[in-house]
Amino acid sequence: MENAIEVRELSKYYGDLLAVDHISFDVHKGEVFGFLGPNGAGKTTTQRMLTTLLEPSGGQIVIFGHDLALDSYPVKRRIGLVPEESNVYTELTAWGNLMFTARLYRVPRSERGSRARELLEMFGLWEKRDVKAENFSKGMRRRLSIAMAIIHRPDLLFLDEPTSGLDAQSTRAIRALIRQLNSEGTTIFLTTHQIEEANLLCDRVAIINHGRLAAIDTPEKLKQAFRKVQSVEVAFEHGPEGIGKKLEALSGVTTAAKMGDKWRLYTEDPSVLLEHVIEFARQNDLRIVSLSTLGPSLEDVFLEITGQKVGTVMYRTGNEGAGRRRRKRR
Amino acid sequence: MNKLLQRVGDEAAQAWTVASKDIRVYYLRPGMIMFGFLMPFFMFFSFSVKREMAAAQGIARLMALTTFFTAAAAGPFIVPLERRIGTYDRLLAAPMSLITLLLGKIAVGAFFAIAVSVVSLAIGMAVFGVSIVNPALLAGGVLLGAFAFSALGLIFGSIPTRNPGDVQMPSTLLRWGLLFISGVFIPLQEMGSVARAIAYLSPLTYAQDLMNHAVSGSGLIAPWLDMAVLLASGVLFLVPSIWMHRRARKLGF
Repeated sequence: MENAIEVRELSKYYGDLLAVDHISFDVHKGEVFGFLGPNGAGKTTTQRMLTTLLEPSGGQIVIFGHDLALDSYPVKRRIGLVPEESNVYTELTAWGNLMFTARLYRVPRSERGSRARELLEMFGLWEKRDVKAENFSKGMRRRLSIAMAIIHRPDLLFLDEPTSGLDAQSTRAIRALIRQLNSEGTTIFLTTHQIEEANLLCDRVAIINHGRLAAIDTPEKLKQAFRKVQSVEVAFEHGPEGIGKKLEALSGVTTAAKMGDKWRLYTEDPSVLLEHVIEFARQNDLRIVSLSTLGPSLEDVFLEITGQKVGTVMYRTGNEGAGRRRRKRR
Repeated sequence: MNKLLQRVGDEAAQAWTVASKDIRVYYLRPGMIMFGFLMPFFMFFSFSVKREMAAAQGIARLMALTTFFTAAAAGPFIVPLERRIGTYDRLLAAPMSLITLLLGKIAVGAFFAIAVSVVSLAIGMAVFGVSIVNPALLAGGVLLGAFAFSALGLIFGSIPTRNPGDVQMPSTLLRWGLLFISGVFIPLQEMGSVARAIAYLSPLTYAQDLMNHAVSGSGLIAPWLDMAVLLASGVLFLVPSIWMHRRARKLGF
């Protein structure tokens, strides 16, 4: 399979702080590749190195056969970048923003207008083409930002947290756009900390934690590799005090976590645990409202890999790993 | 060869694209109005009102001041602001060389400076009836001065920071320092030898001298030398900007 991106032993130090630790991976042409990790894990740093915005401390990046350290110009012509913060020019109209980007990427003059119109219509912004971007909502700015990133028809599109902070409608629209772009042949490199987004969109996922690649595979294969995070989910009509400890004490339960009005019991063998739960309900005179078995979700896999306790309501998501210091190799 | 010409043409167009966008976006920003458009007039009136001075001398001084202040104001204001709001990444990721981007940014300051100088000149001619001895020298002085001083301002804009405030203070300090050592408020002819030697270190001295030649025909340095120094200064000022941009790419700005 032909590769769009080849990364070998890539590393980045900020002073003595090692942000990206000698990672290697390939992104195949035509795939949606998810780059997943908690905040501070090294996702954005990696993406900035891939898009020439940040100079690596070591390693090699080859995009479409071009070594970025030797000649980034042909690569820059073929990539598009949508950063986490929508970097549109708020003083310009939607049309002005697109025209500026088209000129910057040397889109032929004869194509600029038609391409801009096509994108504005595709992104639902045609009616607002003469409105300054300062009057746009966050979702509209994000859509405009994506339109600006693809006006030159890039072969590879980098998206950094594309749906972060957006409402459900905008999130759905942007995910649909990503799928559409990919179906038209654009390779997508998607940086996100939203597991469900990666699950829904990505052909393959790499999980980065503390600057190191912890796993890389398809979402389904990653889930299969983590059978121990299967679970049984049960809801009782009235849960008495201290029920959590009793459920956790059931044979085969590794962790019990409260999820709203339900309890999720993690286990390696859900079929046996089902019988124990029914027996538990009978002995304690509890009425079961719902009972189901769940396979491991990508979120479970992510939490397991990144060392965050699976299924607990208050798991830590903050800047773990952001402050990891390691001596610079000299 | 064709590919090279195509690339050069593309880069020139991209530099103009960057410059024309900045001109449209930033000319009405308060920082630009204050430091770029009003400051030279404040300076001029502060040091010129109620002082014995021929109209031609006043216009030459105003032209040098507007070229200097306006051109040097753009870089320290625009680049850190764009870094903060993330739009600078869009420019850095675009398929153009760093030199092209820097020349585009220099063109912004130069354009503003030329526009303000033209207004100053028009006022001078209309109100005080000043006539220009050598219009070609004046045009050369404004163009080269605008280029050199805009490149000077861009050095401060290239400091790896996302906060325009971090840059404003050192850039203002340097501009004021240059202003007082140069032959703007005290003509070179009236300076002592040490003061004059120091004045020769400032590119503003050469711009002022060129304006004097152009407006009243009374410069001290050869006009060709004034122009050569301004051109060389502009090119030389690009070097620290390039170095700092490379440093910023290592640091993640």
